Amino acid sequence: MPRFNALGFGFLAPAMIVVTLFFLAPVILTVFFAFTNMSTSTGITGGEYLLTQSDLRGLKSSELSDSTYETLENSGYLIDEAGLARLAETRDQATADELARLHAGAQFDSRRDMERALKDLRDNRIRSTRDRKALAELFKTSVMDDRFQTRDEFVTALSAAGVPDADQKILVKEAYTGWVWTTENMKLLFSLDSSWRYAMNTLFYVVLTLSFNVGFGLFLAISTFYLPPTIANTFRTIWFLPRILPPVLYVLMWYWLTWDTGIISSFMSLFGMAPRNWMLDTATNAWIVVILINGFVGASLGMILFSSAIKTIPASMLYASEVDGANRWQQIRYIILPQLRWPILFTSSYQTLSLLTSFEYILLATDGGPGGATEVWALAAYHTALNNYGGNLQYGLGAAYALVLVVIGIVTSFLYLRFFNFKDLVAKPRIEQ
Amino acid sequence: MNAHVFKLCVSIKRGSSMTTSMLKRTTAVLLFSALAAPVLAEDVTITVWAGGSNDADAYRIDAIEIAADMLEREAAIEGRDLNITVEGKRDFGGWEEFKQGVTLAAEAGKAPNIVVTSHLDIAPWSQAGYIVPAEDYLDFDAWPLNDIYPNLLEIAAYNGIQWGLPQDAESRPFFFWKDTMRGIGYSDEDIAALPDKVAAGEYTLQDVLADGKKAVDMGLVQEGYGFYPRPSNGPDWGQFYQSFGGTLQDPETGKLVLDKASMEAFYQFFADAVDAGITRKNHLGTDWGQWYSEVANGKAATWHGGTWHYARYTGKEGNDDFFGTIEFSLIPAGNETGRANTITHPLVYLVTDQENDDHEEIAAQLVKIASEPRLNSLHAIKSAHLGIGQQQSNIELYANDRWASEATERLLINANAQPNNLDYGAFSEAMFKGLEAAWTGVKSPTDAVAELEAELTAKLGDNLIVQ
Repeated sequence: MPRFNALGFGFLAPAMIVVTLFFLAPVILTVFFAFTNMSTSTGITGGEYLLTQSDLRGLKSSELSDSTYETLENSGYLIDEAGLARLAETRDQATADELARLHAGAQFDSRRDMERALKDLRDNRIRSTRDRKALAELFKTSVMDDRFQTRDEFVTALSAAGVPDADQKILVKEAYTGWVWTTENMKLLFSLDSSWRYAMNTLFYVVLTLSFNVGFGLFLAISTFYLPPTIANTFRTIWFLPRILPPVLYVLMWYWLTWDTGIISSFMSLFGMAPRNWMLDTATNAWIVVILINGFVGASLGMILFSSAIKTIPASMLYASEVDGANRWQQIRYIILPQLRWPILFTSSYQTLSLLTSFEYILLATDGGPGGATEVWALAAYHTALNNYGGNLQYGLGAAYALVLVVIGIVTSFLYLRFFNFKDLVAKPRIEQ
Repeated sequence: MNAHVFKLCVSIKRGSSMTTSMLKRTTAVLLFSALAAPVLAEDVTITVWAGGSNDADAYRIDAIEIAADMLEREAAIEGRDLNITVEGKRDFGGWEEFKQGVTLAAEAGKAPNIVVTSHLDIAPWSQAGYIVPAEDYLDFDAWPLNDIYPNLLEIAAYNGIQWGLPQDAESRPFFFWKDTMRGIGYSDEDIAALPDKVAAGEYTLQDVLADGKKAVDMGLVQEGYGFYPRPSNGPDWGQFYQSFGGTLQDPETGKLVLDKASMEAFYQFFADAVDAGITRKNHLGTDWGQWYSEVANGKAATWHGGTWHYARYTGKEGNDDFFGTIEFSLIPAGNETGRANTITHPLVYLVTDQENDDHEEIAAQLVKIASEPRLNSLHAIKSAHLGIGQQQSNIELYANDRWASEATERLLINANAQPNNLDYGAFSEAMFKGLEAAWTGVKSPTDAVAELEAELTAKLGDNLIVQ
């Protein structure tokens, strides 16, 4: 019977915490956000009840009864008996009397007009702006433009304003400022043409970059394997640079290389070619640059993993193959590559998943351009959720984009595990059976 | 007025938690009974975050510090001991970082007291409850707020409520490089007459194409430099849509408007400019530093920018003779249905919702004082922005500045703004994406507009009128 081993659990705990914080929590939050209409304007932490002019305009041709619409539209400030009584109680009777003499029965659309009416007082001047604003509120008859903390408060105010029950429901729904659950994001996502284009862009990007990563990583690992150790290490270090350079610096160097004032253009001008932007001139240019930028970063990681895996191949096998007359290609084909199955699986799965979700190099280099040609899914998610010049960030829709990536990522992982026969790879060596 | 009164009074303001009328009335009663409370010393720290601000815009924060000094002195005379510490921050990585910073801080209940930001943020931030109306604290019939241009105040209002104060004004002119214009056959008088001809609709964007083409063909400017637009997304693109007859918002219903014919003509104009070699196909994304240096020194025949560019051209870029080398006008009309126009995109001072409502009151007083003509003129002239109030023409610093006075006269009076609307962000992003696709030849203007229509209809629904 298995014993509960506290020490083992203790060793696992850091990993559990990391997995929970950096994998499970983001995934759960993504699922959660994706089914809300959350945006800058709804906030994240909940909402209140606020009926504004634009809410009301939006309801004009809805089921809201015309009488309610008109009541709300025309309500504002009214100098009536009740209001004057409140003024007398708050300030004094003389002020109330003077206001009644000047403006009894007057109705104002805006608070400023109400304040102006109070400014007309001569014998009982209200000198402070703050006092005047406070007193103006005594005459307010409208529920518009007030923030109500709870539904009940809002409903009470609506009832007091004489809004019938049927209309109250419509108004409560419209006036809520917080986020609500919705499946609209998913519907919208699958109905937009641009989504399909982003999906195709992403597929194109992942397949090509991954092939480059693994292919070039293998090439580097195998070619440096056959070099003398010192030279091999020098080459590996050089090829590792893209991985350890900060992304901004790395992409800046690509700018220097490719922009119309850059190295390629300067060099080509020696041959009479007009300067052009080799990064953004056409969609093809942009794709080549994007794939190379990401490809070199990925290839350097592949190179290190493959190199170390090759070193674990017993030298005796290679000597034996040479005795049998195998050439270099046959060594690679029949000895090295079969032994690299596990590292290739790891690199492919890891890179697929990281390429699907990574967009930082594309953001820095082309920002999805030219004309959206290199806009991949993850970048679209970022643009939707976190980048908007006009201010209203669409957190919910952005999360819906991200959720699709989460699903694809999980499905792809399972496919890879099956394809590479994961069980065999982690099976115990025969000698232990 | 002492600290107690500050506290009591605030529950009356709209946007605070106590919103029922009963509570309002009770607190109003308390307010007047509390007037005799004892005098207390008050130490307040007011934080100001200014987005999109560089060294030239330092007065967005400095003016608040000067205002704080003034408010402290006023309080001292009234017998109150008020100490205000102003903490400013403007070193944000960009607009996105700034806006994310403000919204996240507001969600965490740690928003800066005053933010200087685009007026477009008013719609989402007021809906989310991050900001409180300036009119809750300030009398707009009184000095200096009654001196601010009404059209600018309107831009800082949303849903009939005055949320903020315009911090500065600007507009976005079209520029001509005089030497190049002379080179293609314009006399000095012709060039001087251009602004009026543009305003009258006699010189249109089609003439820009023709003149740009001439300049390129004659070798006066390199290919792609005949017309050298802004290299990134921004408010400017709405101007070209308006040039071809488009309107951004329906004044009746407040809904956003997609005028398909105008949009297509606008996209087509840029596609034509690229086809003719007047504008670079890969222009969008050009580094701003490179862009400024090129336009300020005559590498481009025509371009468009902002009034604040004056400071950059004559400062960092070293153009010592702005008026001798550059002519400026409204953005020309595109066709008969359109008009010459310019968009003003004022930044606004907004007061954020705070746990402690005293601080909202103080913040509102500070932005009010900072809007005094003399104080605002410091910012306007230092940063080459335009003034916000009529009396600024009576401040010598402002009146003696040729750029400020000419730009105010020629541009600001004709300026309109982008609408404060919750969906405008989605609208302008999609409009720019369509432009980018048509510009770079990824799509035809017709296809780009079709996709734009599909996307906006799906995203905006009822809030969009398609014409």
